[in-house]
Amino acid sequence: MATVVRMPEVLAGASEAAIQSWLVTPGQSIGVGEPLAEVETEKAVVEYAAETEGVVLELLVSEGQPVAVGEPIAIIGAADEATRVREEPGPADGSQQRAPEPETAPDPEPSPLADAPDLLPSERGGHRAAERRFASPIVRRLARERGIDLALLTGTGPDGRIVRRDLEATAAGQGAAASETRTPTGSPKQPAPSPAVQAGPGGPPAAFVDLPLSGMRRAIARRLTESKTTIPHFYVVADCRVDGLLDLRRQLNAFDEVHISVNDLVVKAAAGALMDVPEANVAWAGTAVRRFATADVAMAVAVPNGLVTPVLRGVESMSLTQVSAAAADLVARAKAGRLKQHELEGGSFAISNLGMYGVKEFSAIINPPQAGILAVGAVAQRPVVDDGALGVGSVMTVTLSADHRVIDGAVAARWTAAFVQRIEEPLRLLL
Amino acid sequence: MPKHERLEAAVPWVRLESTPEDWRAADPALLGGMLAELHLIRAFEETVLELAGEGLVHGPAHSSIGQEGGAVGSIIGLRSSDGVNGSHRGHHQFLAKALTHVTGGDLDLSALVTGDVDRVLQRTLAEILGLAQGFCAGRGGSMHLQWLEAGALGTNAIVGGGVPMGAGNSYAQRQSGTTDLTVSYFGDGAVNIGSVLETMNLAAAWTLPFVFFIENNLYAVSTTVAEATGEHRLSGRGPGFGIPSWRVDGMDPLAVHLAMTEVGDRIRGGGGPAVVEAEVYRFFHQNGPYHGSAFGYRAKTEEAEWRARDPLERVGSEMLGLGLIGEAEIASVRTQAVEAMREVADRLTEPDPDAAGKRRIRPELWPDPEFVDVGIRGDGSELAGGRFLEPLDDEGPKDSGRFVDFVAGVMDRRMAEDPRIIVLGEDVHRLNGGTNGATKGLAKAYPGRVLGTPISENAFAGLAGGVALDGRFRPVVEFMYPDFLWVAADQVFNQIGKARHMFGGVNPVPLVLRTKVAMGSGYGSQHLMDPAGIFSTSPGWRIVAPSTAADYIGLMNTALALDDPVLVIEHVDLYALPEEAPAGDLDYRLPIGRAAVRREGADVTVLSYLSMVRHALEAVQQTGVDAEVIDLRWLDRASIDWDTIGESVRKTNAVLIVEQGALGTSYGGWLADEVQRRFFDWLDQPVLRVTGGEASPSISKVLERAAIARTEEVVRGLEEAVRRMGGR
Repeated sequence: MATVVRMPEVLAGASEAAIQSWLVTPGQSIGVGEPLAEVETEKAVVEYAAETEGVVLELLVSEGQPVAVGEPIAIIGAADEATRVREEPGPADGSQQRAPEPETAPDPEPSPLADAPDLLPSERGGHRAAERRFASPIVRRLARERGIDLALLTGTGPDGRIVRRDLEATAAGQGAAASETRTPTGSPKQPAPSPAVQAGPGGPPAAFVDLPLSGMRRAIARRLTESKTTIPHFYVVADCRVDGLLDLRRQLNAFDEVHISVNDLVVKAAAGALMDVPEANVAWAGTAVRRFATADVAMAVAVPNGLVTPVLRGVESMSLTQVSAAAADLVARAKAGRLKQHELEGGSFAISNLGMYGVKEFSAIINPPQAGILAVGAVAQRPVVDDGALGVGSVMTVTLSADHRVIDGAVAARWTAAFVQRIEEPLRLLL
Repeated sequence: MPKHERLEAAVPWVRLESTPEDWRAADPALLGGMLAELHLIRAFEETVLELAGEGLVHGPAHSSIGQEGGAVGSIIGLRSSDGVNGSHRGHHQFLAKALTHVTGGDLDLSALVTGDVDRVLQRTLAEILGLAQGFCAGRGGSMHLQWLEAGALGTNAIVGGGVPMGAGNSYAQRQSGTTDLTVSYFGDGAVNIGSVLETMNLAAAWTLPFVFFIENNLYAVSTTVAEATGEHRLSGRGPGFGIPSWRVDGMDPLAVHLAMTEVGDRIRGGGGPAVVEAEVYRFFHQNGPYHGSAFGYRAKTEEAEWRARDPLERVGSEMLGLGLIGEAEIASVRTQAVEAMREVADRLTEPDPDAAGKRRIRPELWPDPEFVDVGIRGDGSELAGGRFLEPLDDEGPKDSGRFVDFVAGVMDRRMAEDPRIIVLGEDVHRLNGGTNGATKGLAKAYPGRVLGTPISENAFAGLAGGVALDGRFRPVVEFMYPDFLWVAADQVFNQIGKARHMFGGVNPVPLVLRTKVAMGSGYGSQHLMDPAGIFSTSPGWRIVAPSTAADYIGLMNTALALDDPVLVIEHVDLYALPEEAPAGDLDYRLPIGRAAVRREGADVTVLSYLSMVRHALEAVQQTGVDAEVIDLRWLDRASIDWDTIGESVRKTNAVLIVEQGALGTSYGGWLADEVQRRFFDWLDQPVLRVTGGEASPSISKVLERAAIARTEEVVRGLEEAVRRMGGR
């Protein structure tokens, strides 16, 4: 008896996903638990293992093609079985394949944004229908013309309807960037986009190329727009003297088996600061301020064509070498597209480090549901003044972006001070 | 014991019978003409029944077989410029008028069917079949036959409904200085309906050259005259109104002719209206090819007695007796008529290829379905050459005065310039310009053209409709309160509103109806409606609702220049307001379909009219909402300014429709519907509306205020619109 394999709901709330790559070929035998495909969603690339034993009879979707959750993607059966099974109408209920890991089930805690009034109450567990987002007709029209994804907007009209003012607010802010990088797809005045270089009518080739959006790019665009337009960011900047830190790192790295990065030290210092100032270890939960007991720190990791933010959990109780090893593992798997869904969820705080590019300082956008993100610049030798004497020291500038709904200015300042202290007294990082 | 003095009606009421002397004295050509028309109509009606029996007549076919004598006897002596109209059973009257028009009533019995006669027969049958070549392009059918050139004003499917319009035609005839008259035909069933009785009163009061011709065929469908009324001699209605009345045997065409000759002499001499009751009998049931006895409401013996008095037989036998004609010649008349109708029917039908032995309408003769809405109203081309002025753009010197003084002023100006204009309504000629001064000075300045009417809105509205259809005059009707539209509803909507389209879409109906919204005046539930909503359901009407005196001048001038019925809505709140208008200029017009943007704004489009425009502007000022306030000016579907509305909605993406009156009869419903369909993709929120309450306003001052919308309600509407704009 052949089995229809359906697109798994690998990600809470995701209504579609794509096979990034098939790990099997038709005719190949496969056992339970053996990898079948890599599935790419907005957030992650997940390895999907077979839950049925048999021979791969047919692969129904090609790589990169978005497929709705529950749609058939492959057929597994006995070697001699015909594939007419694909003609059978498939129920999208009990036979639907589940995600490979229980950890990828919906986040047990609703995300802060899920409580925003524009969203319909979402069902917990089980299959969730794609969220209906109400938008007024003019908003739909303008979004179509300007190529704005309504999923990026938050509705402030009656019952959360997205109204013209929401669109204008986006256009005035971050949405402008989105509209520049997108080509209108619904406007009759514009030719349909294609990856090829566009040629104007009768004119020279247009100086741009339209690249199709990946799921990750859509997620980045949606989440960051949502963040920047709904979270009141405020910023605290500090310079850290890191001569001692660099010295400690040199000593530690003298041991063969360890390789501690500045970033590892920064992560550890941030976790320590979250313990020092628990008022900063929080998240906006819509109807409450959620305070965390552990320091779960996300790291922004640049990957080809985007970035992901895997979370290191319980950093406060990890040794520096454990932090270093875990971080290295996450970065390696992030770059290889091998992160698990649960590794991308949660966290109260994030580190974004562009120091390796020589950036002096920058401000980062909070990655919800987290309430803070630390933008870390490059370590550089700068003039410093010690006890009235001008000298040269290694300095690193950090910028905290905080969610002002849950982190007051004084709290942010105290957190920053605690962080600077831990960086500047690095031995405490080893405790 | 009280003393009794027997009173006599002031006018005669007689029964007229022909004598052998009369037959001998009759002009043989007249008798021959009667015989010819009777046979043509009979053959025609037989053909209609035959086609109806084959299912080729869509809708009812009310046969006049048996009743031809009354129509032919009364019409054959009329001029083409005399008018006739009739009811649902009108084929015989229409044909008699049309045939008399093309032959002068003088037909050659040996060559009955001339080209003109043939054309009349074919176009009439085509109309009854609903074909494009019919007199009304197939729109009218059996019950709406009109050929104005022949003086056939249009038959009517509303019992008694054509009578006020007929009286209007007679008014126009007399007012034009002619000695023409109009005959309105109706049955025994119609004699008890308001339109007829109100018109009897009005025609007598105004001494109109008008004949109420009752075809008393004894049955209103199956209800007998004796069941329906206490005075079954229906001409007895006339004397009570001061109308001399005749009763005559309608099966005797000569007797009818003699009665009509007496009536005509009296009327053309200025003696005023008459009632003629012709006793007739329809040989068949109300409609279709069956005898009445088949339905059990009358006896076969009764039918046989009446059939023995067939008017065709009567004229034939009298002529035979007088030696004016031979048996063979009579048979030839019959044969010619039957043959002519067979040919006419053959031209309009063909063998049905799908059903052997059956006929069908020749498919190419149907009207084009695209014709369905053509000619509901005029195209406004009659305004060409007029001078338009937009008061918003006028920077010249101004005259000041009360709004109502400009109302009377512009009418005074138009009446001075245009002798066709007449004004009629209750008390418009007295009280120094009617109840509000809107016709001030007109009665004195234009004697005979400002007519105070009896309290019978249905009759005087319908009379004005008849005047308008005639075209020689332009009536301006006033309803003292808008709610009286219900009293006059048949004439206002069934007749005036539909007349142009129903009869083929070409005949203009230039009529202005003025009325005033009186919400706030304490007149209570039956006087305080806004008529805009109800009139907007009647597509023949154009509607204007000026909010300023300067607009009133321009809109009234356009209304009086248009060939369509136009409702001009006024408001008591506006009458006393001090207003300004271009100095010394009462002649400019405002174009159809141009609204006025009273305030530009970006956040919400307020659509309003009449007094509510000012309330809307006040509310905008109080709330500080950046609203764009559009004064619609023109309210009907055909004349509303979609360009201005559309431009505004595309800018604001929000619409608030503001009116004052009760929800049920309110205007904005259709507009909201149309706005959301036209501009759906431009809307950021549902179309909002400000209206009065559900119930009609009460007399109690507090309850009246609670029932209507003013500035405070518009404020709430604006706040609601803002709430729905979102943003935090």
